[in-house]
Amino acid sequence: MYATADMLLTSTQAHAAEQSKEPVIEVMLVRAVLDGDRDSFGRLYDLYAPLVHGILLARVPRAEVADLVQDIFLHAFKKLHTLRDSAAFGPWIAMIARNRAVDFHRRSKETVEINDDLRGSDTHDSKAREILELIRSLPEAYRETLVLRLVEGMTGPEIAARTGLTAASVRVNLHRGMKLLREQLGVMEGL
Amino acid sequence: MNDDYLWDKTGQPDPEIQKLEEILGTLRYEPRPFVLPRRRNYFPLLAIAASILLAIIAGSIWLRVRSGDEVPRQEAKLESPTPKPLEAPQPPRTGSALNPPLHASNRIRKPRSASSVINDEEALAAKEQLMLALRITTEKLSMVHRKTQPNQIKNQHRIG
Repeated sequence: MYATADMLLTSTQAHAAEQSKEPVIEVMLVRAVLDGDRDSFGRLYDLYAPLVHGILLARVPRAEVADLVQDIFLHAFKKLHTLRDSAAFGPWIAMIARNRAVDFHRRSKETVEINDDLRGSDTHDSKAREILELIRSLPEAYRETLVLRLVEGMTGPEIAARTGLTAASVRVNLHRGMKLLREQLGVMEGL
Repeated sequence: MNDDYLWDKTGQPDPEIQKLEEILGTLRYEPRPFVLPRRRNYFPLLAIAASILLAIIAGSIWLRVRSGDEVPRQEAKLESPTPKPLEAPQPPRTGSALNPPLHASNRIRKPRSASSVINDEEALAAKEQLMLALRITTEKLSMVHRKTQPNQIKNQHRIG
């Protein structure tokens, strides 16, 4: 289950102010796409591809992520007319990405994990994969927020604006997730 | 732990978080161009199919008119048999028994009856109808061509 008690915290005024800028752009872009401007979907892709990438990276093997990102955006393009609130494009595509990750695990469980282990002989890359595995072992709510922050380089307010979560929820998830990750990293030698 | 740096990258940077960012940054999303599938324009295909169908219909009408034209001629032939030509004294045969030579006297023109004249008029009318149908088809095709031409240019512009 994705939703946790942390995510259900009420939004603050600061959160509303932070989120006010992004939806204006996405509303315009979504409307333009629905009016037949296909180029605007390219801009939506540029804006939201890192979010989708991060959500997938927290759940599926790295080798599969790039193709899944393309699939998800293609699906989103075809189903965009079903989006009722244009301002909710971010939460909508994030949900599609989460569902696609669940579908992926339902279809193929064993083969993909081996693929991930075989990739990358570089020490820096292997360390990154080890840490990513540690993040993946954390509760679901924390792992997504941590990947978006540490891998994709998004700030807390950006994560909140794009996923539709409240700023308070993101802040709590980041804090608790980081605490758990530090504990896990304590087991690993020399970061 | 510096919460501000973790939250929005402000304040005193946390070295541990910075190290994690550096290592995990290698897994970051690498921009890839997103290619939408090209929109299919079925209009030219439909136009071609429609014109072929129209041509087939016109052809079948023409064939029907022609076959209708031929049947009364046969009846006319049965009702008023042509008078037999007078038997001329046969010249000595030069060919073999199996392949007799052809002579001009064997090719006799049949006189045209009144019904065949009427049929000719019907055929003429049918021909005119067919010509009209073909003219309409040509007009339609040129219209379709005119309609599809700007679309192609538009698509090319978008792709380019």
